[in-house]
Amino acid sequence: MCDRVNPYRPIETQVLDVVPETPTITTIRLKPKEELTFEAGQFIELTIPGVGEAPFTPSSNPSIKDEMEVTIMKVGKVTELIHKLKKGDTVGLRGPFGNGYPMDDFKGKEILVVGGGCGFAPLRSLMYAFFNRSGEFKKLFFRGGCKTPRELVYRDETKKWSKRKDLDLKLTVDKGEKGWKGNVGLVTTIINVKMNYKKGIAVICGPPIMMKFATIKVLEMGFREENIYLSMEKNMSCGIGKCGHCRIGTYYACKDGPVFRYDKIKTFPEIWE
Amino acid sequence: MKFIPKSNLAKLLDALKADYDVFVPVKKNDQRFFKKYDGYSEDIVIGEVRTFEPLKAFFSPAREKVADNFDPGLPKSKNKPYAIVGVKACDLKGFKVQDYVFTENDYLDPFYKRLRENNLIISADCTTAIDTCFCLSLGIRPFPREDYDINLSLCRGGFLVETGSDKGKALVEKWAGLFSEAQDDLIKQRDAMRTDVAGRVEENIKAREVPDESKLKGVIEKRYESKIWEDEAKTCVECGSCNTICPTCHCFLLYDQKGEKGMARLRMWDSCMIKDFARVAGGANPRAKLWMRLRNRFEKKFDFFPKIRNINACTGCGRCISACPAKIDIRNVLKRLVKNV
Repeated sequence: MCDRVNPYRPIETQVLDVVPETPTITTIRLKPKEELTFEAGQFIELTIPGVGEAPFTPSSNPSIKDEMEVTIMKVGKVTELIHKLKKGDTVGLRGPFGNGYPMDDFKGKEILVVGGGCGFAPLRSLMYAFFNRSGEFKKLFFRGGCKTPRELVYRDETKKWSKRKDLDLKLTVDKGEKGWKGNVGLVTTIINVKMNYKKGIAVICGPPIMMKFATIKVLEMGFREENIYLSMEKNMSCGIGKCGHCRIGTYYACKDGPVFRYDKIKTFPEIWE
Repeated sequence: MKFIPKSNLAKLLDALKADYDVFVPVKKNDQRFFKKYDGYSEDIVIGEVRTFEPLKAFFSPAREKVADNFDPGLPKSKNKPYAIVGVKACDLKGFKVQDYVFTENDYLDPFYKRLRENNLIISADCTTAIDTCFCLSLGIRPFPREDYDINLSLCRGGFLVETGSDKGKALVEKWAGLFSEAQDDLIKQRDAMRTDVAGRVEENIKAREVPDESKLKGVIEKRYESKIWEDEAKTCVECGSCNTICPTCHCFLLYDQKGEKGMARLRMWDSCMIKDFARVAGGANPRAKLWMRLRNRFEKKFDFFPKIRNINACTGCGRCISACPAKIDIRNVLKRLVKNV
């Protein structure tokens, strides 16, 4: 939970490590000086002191209590500066905010996790949350896609994951390159996994366009609307439903999301924009 | 009901200065503004109509520091709470939205709470209406009925006094010597004035065919794809005045800057009419076009708040009408939406 006394105050945080994933995506390892734990799917606000803050979903194992990792794509003013961070630098953290994935509701079920591009980040945290409770879920499928092999994040990890007995993992790229032996094609072409769609859970996270088509696809496959979980990317700022920027229908993504069940938001306009 | 002569009201306000920062409406040309009370000057107008600036400016200031570096706690605040005098019924309705956003709705905003919790609201009846007034359409009458500590109704020689809270009652008891029992003829005079002012607002509403709020239910959803939005947004210059001047608009921007000790985080009023309001860093913008943002403004006021709080986030104060350089008139937009023209 964020600082209840002053929810706008960032917590002083040390940069422990900076790991480039791709030319535009970097993972940074952070150690907040005060307690800041999170659940998979919740988000934090990362401050570059004196410059500004931006929302990110931690990508690390939520069971690690004193550190967190955030995987960040270079897209704007704050993220550009984040990419320039070095070990030992000081940043600020606020949060965690919002609702993560309801892990208990997933117990005993077959789960299909679909990720796209940088949308991988929150899903990495979710996969660790699953692994922490391995055996509690009937079957886990992970289907991830990105544009090119060069843009694939967490390569070593996904290689390790592919050997796990509790996970069926497959990755794809929109466009292949020399040396790429994996699947080529949109992620929606590899999500027809062997499971009971009517009873299964679908978790989708990625760029808006990918989320839209993946949602249409899983609905076609027979997943129930209330079993589809989407992580909505909106312009979250305050984190507590006051500043107004991330409104989506009758909700604020920052406090009522960012993870939403599809049936709760399907009637709102603008959800894929 | 009590009565207080004008000279005694001055004494009361002088006394309140010990515990409060007292603000009163003063008239400058044909506008009214809140000014710090420093003796009962000629330009003080307790009656008339709403001030130029919305009441929210006291409790959710246009610019406010919310964090100093990583320092725990809250940045320092003013020493005394506000006592705001002459607040009109339309601004009091603004509290219903602002209080909900900042003190309920799952999380508490410590800065709003701090400014709001010990304040004193001495409201007042409107004694006239201006041509932008349309409070009756939103279920408000031009005299306060709730959400005040003390209400003043201008009458011959002074003001009729009603209390609306324990705090108000205690204050009137404490300064009992300044008040007398209200005479029946003054109460009659007040009632006649209230009827007269409401009549003037009613004339505005009739002349402009402003729909009553009972007709607004569901109208945003019904007209979501209407051409009215594009048409109304044609002249908009994206200045955001309608937001900043509105007593219910609450959106803000967190803005970091390098301060004396490293970092200062400010929050400033923001406007949902500005292009980047909902844009995400990745570039996606759910409301890329201006007319979508105009529609969103109405959606927030007349669809979102009715759904989550059973209240229209408009008070009929008419400030946005006066402030708009493009002459977009909220009454006209509502009329068009209801009539679908």
